Amino acid sequence: MADRVLPFKKDRDTGGFFAAADRHELVYRACNDCGASINPPHARCAACGSWNTGWKQASGKGRLFTWSVVEQQIHPAFPTPYTIVVVALEDDPSVRYVGYLDGAHDLKADMAMRVRFEPTEDGGALPQWIPDNAR
Amino acid sequence: MDELAIAARDKCAIAGIGVTDYMKDSGRSVLSLATEAALAALDDAGLAPEDVDGIVRCNHDQITHNDLGSSIGVTDLTYWGETGPGGVGPCAMVGQAMAAIMGGLANTVLVFRALNGRSEDRFGQGQHMTKGAPVIGGRSTYDEFFMPFGLMTAGQTFALMTQRHMTQYGTTSEHLGHIALACREYANRNPRAQMRDRALTMEDYMAGRMISSPLRLYDFCLETDGAAAVVVTTAERAKDLKAKPVLIRGQAGGCPTDMRGGMMFPVVMREDPTEPGGKRAGETLYRKTGIGPDEIDVAQIYDCFTISILLQLEAYGFCKKGEGGPFSASGALRPGGSLPINTGGGHLSEGYIHGMGHVIEAARQMRGESSSQVEGAETCLVTGGPLPTGSALMLRRA
Repeated sequence: MADRVLPFKKDRDTGGFFAAADRHELVYRACNDCGASINPPHARCAACGSWNTGWKQASGKGRLFTWSVVEQQIHPAFPTPYTIVVVALEDDPSVRYVGYLDGAHDLKADMAMRVRFEPTEDGGALPQWIPDNAR
Repeated sequence: MDELAIAARDKCAIAGIGVTDYMKDSGRSVLSLATEAALAALDDAGLAPEDVDGIVRCNHDQITHNDLGSSIGVTDLTYWGETGPGGVGPCAMVGQAMAAIMGGLANTVLVFRALNGRSEDRFGQGQHMTKGAPVIGGRSTYDEFFMPFGLMTAGQTFALMTQRHMTQYGTTSEHLGHIALACREYANRNPRAQMRDRALTMEDYMAGRMISSPLRLYDFCLETDGAAAVVVTTAERAKDLKAKPVLIRGQAGGCPTDMRGGMMFPVVMREDPTEPGGKRAGETLYRKTGIGPDEIDVAQIYDCFTISILLQLEAYGFCKKGEGGPFSASGALRPGGSLPINTGGGHLSEGYIHGMGHVIEAARQMRGESSSQVEGAETCLVTGGPLPTGSALMLRRA
């Protein structure tokens, strides 16, 4: 991929997600006291008021919430067509992550998806999502 | 709780409106556009730049209060305000002007939006957001969860919401097409609209190329160069000015309890991404103004995309949740329908001034000057960008 767009990985609220991804682990932010998920991640749990929050391991499985096949070329890193997927985690469907799929795909709402770690040129990895029945 | 809102009903007015042409390439600076629109609004009201003591801008505008003040010749600026984000701005900007006046912070407030949205800064080209940076996001933007995964633009975000609405409620492309066609019909009657001479049929709509499925070409608004401004002052004073005043009944913002941080992308993480911020803005506005959806004669609904209108028709209570498609296809939105919307053509067919054009067209309706004047219209709802929050404004004929 040309001119790859890499995430800023050192944000104090979100960096833990990308550090885990570099180790090929999928995590999400959750409250250690009340268990509520916090996504996108931040330090304080608004549900119970606790600052005692942390990263929870996710199974790497989820369901397709919505998607779009992009046909209009926007950025050189993403040649068209490609597909944007939004996946709800099996662990807690209120946590959703966005993934990139090369090409146009025939997808169905609620289909099973699984995570796949895509190596990036900075030596790390990004969690991407593919249909669970894909090889 | 609402005593102050009730006391403020109809106490302020839009005393003047001004616009530039809406164009593809203005060939001029954004400041020149803002200046032309502001001076036109003042002239319309019969006021001079020296009368202005307040300016409210949109947070996405490149023009600041002192830029505009110095260009038009404001001599005693006592109040300036800013809100947004982006297209959420205009209704809230008018509300901020009203609040400043009611609070005694200013007497005559200019509210403006100016952009070279086609020739310079095209919102549809996501890479302007990356600005060539080696890494993207961080600092509470949350862009790092989206842009590195190919979600770069508003169009793609709304496409994800549209697909979800289609999955949940069986909404179709043809439903969206009816919205595009209704707006085009109004534009065809509006000499200022960029699409004044271009008819649109359902065949044309369906043949439009796919941009980000399920959204096609005619689901998208027109990137535009242009500016629009209004002058807000007390209703009492506006009575004696040159133009017919338009009463500001009230203004409200809103967002879902499940709001999430960031700008627009995190909306796809909300429990229900198809509920725009406008749902609660509408509920609050109706309560504070005492005017409900059944009493609204005409509406200017923020339309960055066709789906934006569909979702807001549901959110503002014009139809039930999930029924925005069939309601749009019923003809209600078209000239002569039960809910004429975007009577100048809107963002989809008149021009994209980031919501400010909707305030202008609402004022024209309440002055009886629209190119698609709704006979006897006394109330007009205006809405602002549906993401990440919503804002709404109720105007009344004086």
